[in-house]
Amino acid sequence: MAGFLIRRVGQIIPTLLFVSLLIFGLQQLMPGDPALILAGEERGDPLVLAQIRAELNLDRPLHEQYVLWLFNVLQGDLGFSWRIREPVAKVILEKLPVTVQLGLMAFAIACLIGIPAGIISAVKKDRPADWVANGVALAGISTPNFWLGIMMILLFSVNLGWLPPSGYVALTVDWRQSLATTIMPAFVLGTGIAAVLMRHTRSAMVQAMNQDYVRTARAKGLAERIVVAKHALRNALVPVITLGALELGTLLSGAVLTEQVFTIPGFGKLVVDAVFNRDYPVVQGVVLVVAVIYVLLNLAADVLYVLINPRLRHA
Amino acid sequence: MTPLLEVRDLAVSFATDEGMVRAVDGVSFSLAPGRRLAIVGESGCGKSVTALAIMRLLAPNARAEGSVRLEGEDVLAVPDSRMRQLRGGKIAMIFQEPMTSLNPAFTVGDQIVEAIREHSDASPSEARAQAIAWLARVRIPAPERRFDEYPHRLSGGMRQRVMIAMAMACRPSVLIADEPTTALDVTIQAQILDLMRELSEETGTAIVLITHDLGVVAELAHDVLVMYAGRVAEQASVQTLFRTPQHPYTVGLMGAVPRLDEEVARLATIEGAVPSPRAWPPGCRFAPRCPFVIERCRTEVPPLAEVGPGHVAACIQAPLDRFAAAA
Repeated sequence: MAGFLIRRVGQIIPTLLFVSLLIFGLQQLMPGDPALILAGEERGDPLVLAQIRAELNLDRPLHEQYVLWLFNVLQGDLGFSWRIREPVAKVILEKLPVTVQLGLMAFAIACLIGIPAGIISAVKKDRPADWVANGVALAGISTPNFWLGIMMILLFSVNLGWLPPSGYVALTVDWRQSLATTIMPAFVLGTGIAAVLMRHTRSAMVQAMNQDYVRTARAKGLAERIVVAKHALRNALVPVITLGALELGTLLSGAVLTEQVFTIPGFGKLVVDAVFNRDYPVVQGVVLVVAVIYVLLNLAADVLYVLINPRLRHA
Repeated sequence: MTPLLEVRDLAVSFATDEGMVRAVDGVSFSLAPGRRLAIVGESGCGKSVTALAIMRLLAPNARAEGSVRLEGEDVLAVPDSRMRQLRGGKIAMIFQEPMTSLNPAFTVGDQIVEAIREHSDASPSEARAQAIAWLARVRIPAPERRFDEYPHRLSGGMRQRVMIAMAMACRPSVLIADEPTTALDVTIQAQILDLMRELSEETGTAIVLITHDLGVVAELAHDVLVMYAGRVAEQASVQTLFRTPQHPYTVGLMGAVPRLDEEVARLATIEGAVPSPRAWPPGCRFAPRCPFVIERCRTEVPPLAEVGPGHVAACIQAPLDRFAAAA
């Protein structure tokens, strides 16, 4: 297991280097001269421009710029936002907890609904419970998040007055208010993913339930719930984990529309604002952080596979 | 003496898109403690379905009728909770595919311990000790170490030994073995058969062996039930059946066994193919392939009739001795 971990972590380094090259390349392709943008009113003054270029190392050859940039990134310096006039790292660190909280809540809701529904649907295959679960899942996949969000605001905030319609309170400020402001967007995000998880859990479980080892488990005299929950589920979880990791990655990279509907100041809103304002350092920083999140989630999924399926340990 | 396992008029039907299809029709046999019965036939004759019906492990679209009595208890009628006690406890089963019959996600030891603890009050450490003892008993080298191995680290023969250990660990009175050696190499086959015979003699566990291979029958069984197209064709002791087969299908099967002591240019085969359960022929189901067929065979269902002491055959022309010269 330790050897596997070291090997797997070793594989991450080239991936991350490649990502950093892509992001640095993106920077070069962007239109406009950063020095001109940063100089503002003084853009006519060649001395100011030269000074800015020297500060940002823009006067050095490309490969040196890359090494210097990478060195800064490794130290947590992601550059300076042109628009907000603050370090990108600081801006991202402010928004990240919001998106992480929202993403994890949505993911928990998705797993709590999707996986049990998939199991029930597989065990009761071609019977009413299966039809109901499939119908609900289809509805969940087909319903646009922004529409479901608006409907929920109408019902729970406008008509019933139970939950605040928008805004965000940090967990550290008041956890009850924090949950109240995030539960609706988390539910909206979670249900869509629950439907996808349900479909995949169902198909993996249907396959697992037809395996010979399930028959062996029954032949031993085990109760059906142990056959399902222990013998079949353990094997069916591998494809579900792959999908779960990807979905969690999507959630953590920011839910643009849902954050807009509920005016939640998370990653999604940050990116949209940065793109509209051509605030490239922020866009880059977000892309980098999201890429790292994906890589780490994939690592976590791989480690989970091996814990669940010992055959992969030697692969 | 009351038989250990008594099967009477067992019929199994499957609900399909084309209506009910009867795969097994009127199978009866009884098994005394410590005896070994082989059920023989080609693929699709209903022998595996018979075994699964006894274990009540048939697919949900199947229906079993008739009676299966295990030590007097009607297996087909007991509630599910009682059936789970019987399964693995009194009647255990091993399968054809040792490669896929063990759960890849758990160690072999855990899987044996699970069976032991399901049917006894053994503590985890007692169950572990018993499981290791069983691994040793099925001749798995270094059983303490193998206990913690996952199935993918073991060969097919080793996995089948683990399956046998798991099935025998609760000391069942009957072991059903569905083609236990079909997926294995010939040398391993012989070892597994020896092991099964030895364990059955030591523990008194009776065996129902499902196979298509008459060589395996000769190795292990006391009695033989030949099935064809969902029905019993012939039943006798091994010696009687091999010496004086009385059903043309059995005669054909014997012809299909390669024998080392005879020079044969090519293996004998039975002409034609097994009919489909969706369209059983009327009368004797073997009639379309039978070399001795007469007109009556195509309309009359032949009853199982006694052709000798403890020897029954379902052929209106039995005994077949008068064909012996021609055959």
